[in-house]
Amino acid sequence: MKYIKKLTKAREASSFLFLVVLFAIVGCININFLAPSSIAACFNDSVVFTLLAVGMAFAIFIGEIDVSVGANLGFTASVVGSLLRDGHNWVFCFAVGILIGAVIGLINGWGVAVLNIPSLIFTLGTNGVLRGLIYVYTDGAWVENLPASFTAFASKPLIGDLTVFYTVALAAVIVIHILLTRTKRGKYFIAVGDNVNGAILVGIPTMWTKIGAYVLCGIFAAIASILYASRIGFITAIAGNGYEMKAIAACVIGGISLSGGLGSVIGASIGAVIMSSVSRILVFMGFSSDYDNTITGVMLITIVVLDALMQRHAAERIRRERLRARASGTAGASTEGGEQA
Amino acid sequence: MNKIKKTFLNWEMFLLGILILEFVVFGAKNAKFLMPRVLLASVNDFIAICFIALFVTFVMITGGIDIQAASIVGFTSIIIGVGWQDGGMNIWTAAILAIIVSAVCGALSGFFIAYCGVQAMVVTLGGSFLYAGFALLVSNLSATEAYQGISGFPDDFKVISKFKLFDVIPSQLLAFAVLVVIAYILLHKTKYGRSIFLVGINQEAAEYSGINTRLVILSTYVLSAVSAALAGIMLTSYLGTAKSDLGANLTLNIITAVVLGGTLSTGGKGSVIGTALASLVIGILRFGLPLCFKVNTQYLDIPVGVLLLVVVIGRAIVSRPETAVFFKKLQKET
Repeated sequence: MKYIKKLTKAREASSFLFLVVLFAIVGCININFLAPSSIAACFNDSVVFTLLAVGMAFAIFIGEIDVSVGANLGFTASVVGSLLRDGHNWVFCFAVGILIGAVIGLINGWGVAVLNIPSLIFTLGTNGVLRGLIYVYTDGAWVENLPASFTAFASKPLIGDLTVFYTVALAAVIVIHILLTRTKRGKYFIAVGDNVNGAILVGIPTMWTKIGAYVLCGIFAAIASILYASRIGFITAIAGNGYEMKAIAACVIGGISLSGGLGSVIGASIGAVIMSSVSRILVFMGFSSDYDNTITGVMLITIVVLDALMQRHAAERIRRERLRARASGTAGASTEGGEQA
Repeated sequence: MNKIKKTFLNWEMFLLGILILEFVVFGAKNAKFLMPRVLLASVNDFIAICFIALFVTFVMITGGIDIQAASIVGFTSIIIGVGWQDGGMNIWTAAILAIIVSAVCGALSGFFIAYCGVQAMVVTLGGSFLYAGFALLVSNLSATEAYQGISGFPDDFKVISKFKLFDVIPSQLLAFAVLVVIAYILLHKTKYGRSIFLVGINQEAAEYSGINTRLVILSTYVLSAVSAALAGIMLTSYLGTAKSDLGANLTLNIITAVVLGGTLSTGGKGSVIGTALASLVIGILRFGLPLCFKVNTQYLDIPVGVLLLVVVIGRAIVSRPETAVFFKKLQKET
């Protein structure tokens, strides 16, 4: 257990290190990038991805995936945006949005946890349906003229240049991290992703944990959609297109293993900052932002391949150690036997 | 075992039934739908789905998934365009170059999946970013603005999509038929096909029985990438323009066609005929709904998504032990 804990710590640390090194390199090439306002902008711009990635992290923790968050974001943003435009009470609008997100999450959770349908396929289906529903709801028109007081919120600074949104999101991430690592129920997610059968044996309600993860994922996408509406100020019919892929990429870059049971929400939020900074970094380094997708793809593949090779290497080493211990005497073998688990 | 075989056969019959039902319903609603000219011209709109789904079936039988094929379509298209217009290549050389490049793309992803043991989902996700990005970069090499697309291809290139056998059957359909035959023989009649199934059922058992499982897995990604390249060539020829974002939103349709065709996403089961029928079902649906029911084309993701959900939910419910018990009880009572 201690070993695993150490490894997770190292995973976040390495992605944080990656972020620092990345910023430092860009800073060497163009010193303007390191201005406080520019660094703050990197963090502020990542707020939507941070929330999406944290939600996605729950789905990935349990060893599943949710590719419907992009459409979820687009649909919820359209509904909340149009309600706000029509002058409804803010609290009511937000509540509706979060409810929609939760219901979408519940449907996904039902399909994956109760019906045991492969999550990629099921959420791909809900993604298609939601994408279409956006057109049905908005008739393909943009949702515009959101109240100025609502959109002004996006640029309100709280600490230094960091906006209210990012500061609150960051605080929320830290609280969630503590809940996930320090409470019994919080640890259910990782436990289910690490070993489902083991989790069943120790009495964890795996089905409800999975459904819970999807509902949380949906709720985070809904919150992200409200911030998206506030930041962008208008919602097109293709809002959030491809965001699901970026959220997954953010999680992977943040050191969350897609086989489940490994990683942390802190890692996901660091990954989101890296992901959303790519296009900004390209501009500062004098490249066209057309390289955005290419860099993201290279980064994603490099990280997962390195991760897989390292994991294989570690597994091989443990196996070799065990064999050596067994060869050198039975006493060693009996103590090393515990490593197998 | 016999029963499974029976339901499997029935599934393809069921798809055929749906296809016929679609013809009847759409035909009854709007007679224009059944005019051979209109109907056969419609294949242009969904032929890419048919091409790619056939070979993504191979990938999914091995237990993998391929979500990068859609981005390879655009990549091939732009390679042809830039190679021909700005590289001064013969159009056919450019097309062959595009096929080779796509095969390399597929092999690269397949290598990471098979030899490094990374999940197919993540690698092809990365691949979809990467190849879409490459496509954009290649389009920047061109003198033409990216959003305009490259056009003005020679007539003998356009002919591959305009050709009609006996003046009725379009070349796309002929090419599809040829691909179905090739895929069918490859998957169901050769040793290679059997090894694909075995890898999907149990990779370790396949490895121990002397199959080079990694190479088999890699090869399926190459095949699906090449089929995406063929789809890209066909679309470029038909539209007459090469664009880097061609086929960008095909993923949902491709996966739906494969799953609807009876392929298990966990691997080990699937058929070429099923996929072929399913992709036609989806294609006709996408063509018929706007024509006969005035459904806005932007809404078409809904029926496709619903179709996917209904199939997977239905299959999940049928395969639950409770359902089997329920049916057995029902049988006993009657």
